[in-house]
Amino acid sequence: MSVIKLTGGRVIDPANGINDQVRDIYVKDGRIVAALADGDKVSAEYNVSGRVVMSGAIDMHTHIGGGKVNIAREMLPEDHRGDPVARTEVTRSSCGYCAPGTLAAGYRYAEMGYTSCFEPAIIPMNARQAHMEMGDTPIVDTGGYAMLGSDDFLLRMLVANEDQKSINDYVAWILHSTQTLGIKVVNPGGISAFKFNQRKLDLDEQNAYYGVTPRRIIQTLTRAVHELGVPHPLHVHASNLGVAGNVDTTLATMEAAEGRPIHLTHIQFHSYGTEGDRKFSSGAARIAEAINRHKNVSADVGQVLFGQTVTASGDNMSQYRNAAFASPKKSAVMDIEMEAGCGVVPFKYKDQNFVNALQWAIGLEIFLMVEDPWRIFLTTDHPNGAPFTTYPHLIKLLTDRSFRNAMLDTINPDAKAMSNLAALEREYSLYEIAIMTRAAPARILGLTDRGHLAPGAAADIVVYTENADRERMFEKPDLVFKDGELVVRDGKVVKVVRGNTHVVKPEFDRSIEKKIEPYFRRFHSVRMNNFKISDDELCECGGGSKLIPHACGKRS
Amino acid sequence: MTNEASSTVVTEVACPFCGLACDDLSVDTAGEALAVVGGGCAKAQAGFARLGVSHDGASARVGGQPASLEAACAEVARRVKASAQPVFAGMALDVGGMREVMELADAAGGVVDHLYSEIGWRSTRVVQDVGYVTTTLAEVKNRADLIVLVGTDVVSKASRFFERYVWNDEAMFEPAPAARRIVYLGGGLNTAAGQSPDGRAADVFDFDRARMPEALSTLNALLAKQPVSEAAPLGIELARWQALVEALRAAKYSVLVWMAGDFEPAQVDLNINAIMSAVRALNVTTRSNGLGLGGADGELNASMVHAWQTGYPMRTSFASGIPLYDPVHNGTARLVEQGETDTVVWISALNDKTPPPPEAKVVIAPPTLKLEHEPEVFIPVSTPGVHHVGHFFRGDKGAALPLRALRATRLPSAAKVAAAITAQLKEVSA
Repeated sequence: MSVIKLTGGRVIDPANGINDQVRDIYVKDGRIVAALADGDKVSAEYNVSGRVVMSGAIDMHTHIGGGKVNIAREMLPEDHRGDPVARTEVTRSSCGYCAPGTLAAGYRYAEMGYTSCFEPAIIPMNARQAHMEMGDTPIVDTGGYAMLGSDDFLLRMLVANEDQKSINDYVAWILHSTQTLGIKVVNPGGISAFKFNQRKLDLDEQNAYYGVTPRRIIQTLTRAVHELGVPHPLHVHASNLGVAGNVDTTLATMEAAEGRPIHLTHIQFHSYGTEGDRKFSSGAARIAEAINRHKNVSADVGQVLFGQTVTASGDNMSQYRNAAFASPKKSAVMDIEMEAGCGVVPFKYKDQNFVNALQWAIGLEIFLMVEDPWRIFLTTDHPNGAPFTTYPHLIKLLTDRSFRNAMLDTINPDAKAMSNLAALEREYSLYEIAIMTRAAPARILGLTDRGHLAPGAAADIVVYTENADRERMFEKPDLVFKDGELVVRDGKVVKVVRGNTHVVKPEFDRSIEKKIEPYFRRFHSVRMNNFKISDDELCECGGGSKLIPHACGKRS
Repeated sequence: MTNEASSTVVTEVACPFCGLACDDLSVDTAGEALAVVGGGCAKAQAGFARLGVSHDGASARVGGQPASLEAACAEVARRVKASAQPVFAGMALDVGGMREVMELADAAGGVVDHLYSEIGWRSTRVVQDVGYVTTTLAEVKNRADLIVLVGTDVVSKASRFFERYVWNDEAMFEPAPAARRIVYLGGGLNTAAGQSPDGRAADVFDFDRARMPEALSTLNALLAKQPVSEAAPLGIELARWQALVEALRAAKYSVLVWMAGDFEPAQVDLNINAIMSAVRALNVTTRSNGLGLGGADGELNASMVHAWQTGYPMRTSFASGIPLYDPVHNGTARLVEQGETDTVVWISALNDKTPPPPEAKVVIAPPTLKLEHEPEVFIPVSTPGVHHVGHFFRGDKGAALPLRALRATRLPSAAKVAAAITAQLKEVSA
């Protein structure tokens, strides 16, 4: 039995309403306990008085595993040469900056105080690979969202006007078969449309073959996810990514949810107007106003930060278009298995480029104008806006107005003139940072034992020395505990553990397989039984990860 | 899934013996050797029969003498530890085997090199140079209307390609599979499988395949509406080339198929780049995709795991404590030839036919592998998809298939052996 005591820390635990209170924390066998029982002997005590204590951070949208990430790795050896991770007594060697190896990613996340990471775009047929890559991402817990919406099975169901119950059964079957935590839709129906040579698809535009609109896909899937009681709302990468004027599409997408929960991801890339000489402007104010008004809507930002990165997306329709802007000049675009696709395009965001600079400002405007930190999440859409290792810098931009304005003074002056950022006075508090990086992601994903420090919670705990320079503070925690094990000290990995895999298992009618099995035999490249990932197989893919299923409260 | 508990036939088995990884095999487990009784091909039948035995009596050997597994692993660890530059070659493994070998190679400061890396690194160079536009097998099965096989017949290496993905009974979209148009670029290919079920012969551009760069240049010139001076490039009338270009332009979902191993090695990246150039030109107005097939002997298991763990493709050295990618420098044959390695460790659980190089001091392979020289250490291992479960990446990168355990054996898996060597190595180091 292991008993740990963290003594005298300043605890910031928004899920339990605790804001900077001095408390002792006890950990017994990997779980937080209220107090020690008779006979419990403290095996390790850490004096953390004066230091800030939070639960482990959670990245709810980061591309860390699956085919497209691996394409990015193969594509960019020039990215990796400057960022090696050396072998040590406890860690293995790896490398990479914007598309790091899984080993480098796991170590670096842990060294920044992150203890859970979620891959947001798992093509169902690629779920095994995604779980294998996540299984080779050390220390952090993982999980993912299965991509639907351009899969021919669902589109055929919509054309056949199958009832919602059947669709819910299919969605639940996908969650079980792919061992995922949520459902994502990417450019709804658009990836399918691209295969029929359509190059854009607006919210109310029909797929050339199926006649189905993105709006209908969003209506159907938000309802399915809601009725199945999956904690995480439908995770939506909306239509028209990156297109000037797409703010109207994004606002209409919110309405398409018809009041049901909906999460709009990397919303910065979907918040562009058409004002000004260059017909490219910020739609942040309209987006923030809509989020503030619609309590069913949440979003993560997908902040852009300047420098080299690589964009990796399931949205091959958009990525094919974006390949024209690739830097360096190369790109990979794939159609994949009658389910989806992917596109990988390296990209360099430049602070003197008008569009890039305005993208940077738009992301920050959204962060600062959305009032409720429980519904806006800190992401760069790693690596699409910037690598996740830039999070401490992003936290400084949010918490320090003078720093932010000093940065604003250095960007493309025309972009600066088009942004209201200078006028935004808000500075995020540590409490709000803890909400958006811990409490809120745990709540929106249904992770009841993560993202907080109450008794019963998993002992994923981070200790920081407070520093007025928030970038310094958040890039190098003093201590990081994962399930009660000390894994990082002074910002360096001291022990490597294996994280858990989070999934949901909603109830459904298994007779849906009578429809799915022949579909696989007729049209797919594998048999249905070889598509499904069992619990045992998942643990094997994860290299021995523990499976943590989360409850679903069925609503229909 | 076994349909009946009493049956000895296991159905829906995935096959690890070529890059197509067909998963519709029925395998009878009743006999001494496994027998493919449905859905296979000659290669699958031979592979399951040859490897699908229990390998009773196979034992590890050190210096040609029987040794315990533990002693053999300790001996490998000792040799790897003493080596100035170990090379881990072969790598015909499942995902699990590759994962463990990667940990070993890192701890040992070695180089990892698959038996097809000499071709593979040239393919990878294309994604590093220009990238690609590609598709996967299920898309081909349902959408392809014009399939151009560039310098390959596919079936010589992956015999069920047409059966499973081209001449299907039905497809989800137009045209009906039987109406698909097949074109071969290059002579000396087995074009019989390209004949449609209703007897339509494939269109064969018969020329010396070593001249593929010229053929692809002709196509690209015509696609770009540039003049071609010759009346009959490669001895084929210009009108036929022009007609092919028009067919590609008119197709709704053309697919250009290649197998990198069928190109002249020095032309691999040149040819794939040229194919991608054509595909990109076509995608301006219609949809067209490349389809690179490969993946035999766990080629993609090795390259995928290597890339995701380290960030680099294969032929990376861990000698300095950080990964250093140099595919020209880090080839096994070159390292051996230049005397830059003193220890070649050959690890192969899926392939018992390719002989290891004579310099291989350590061989970790199925006991059915015929050795021309007795290595200093030999460790017999079981085969994934035959003796133990595992995962296998299909050659189009479209899927990773689960492999079954169909035959009991006392032999360890390659993963278990690699992990044991790593543990010993760390003990030696401590």
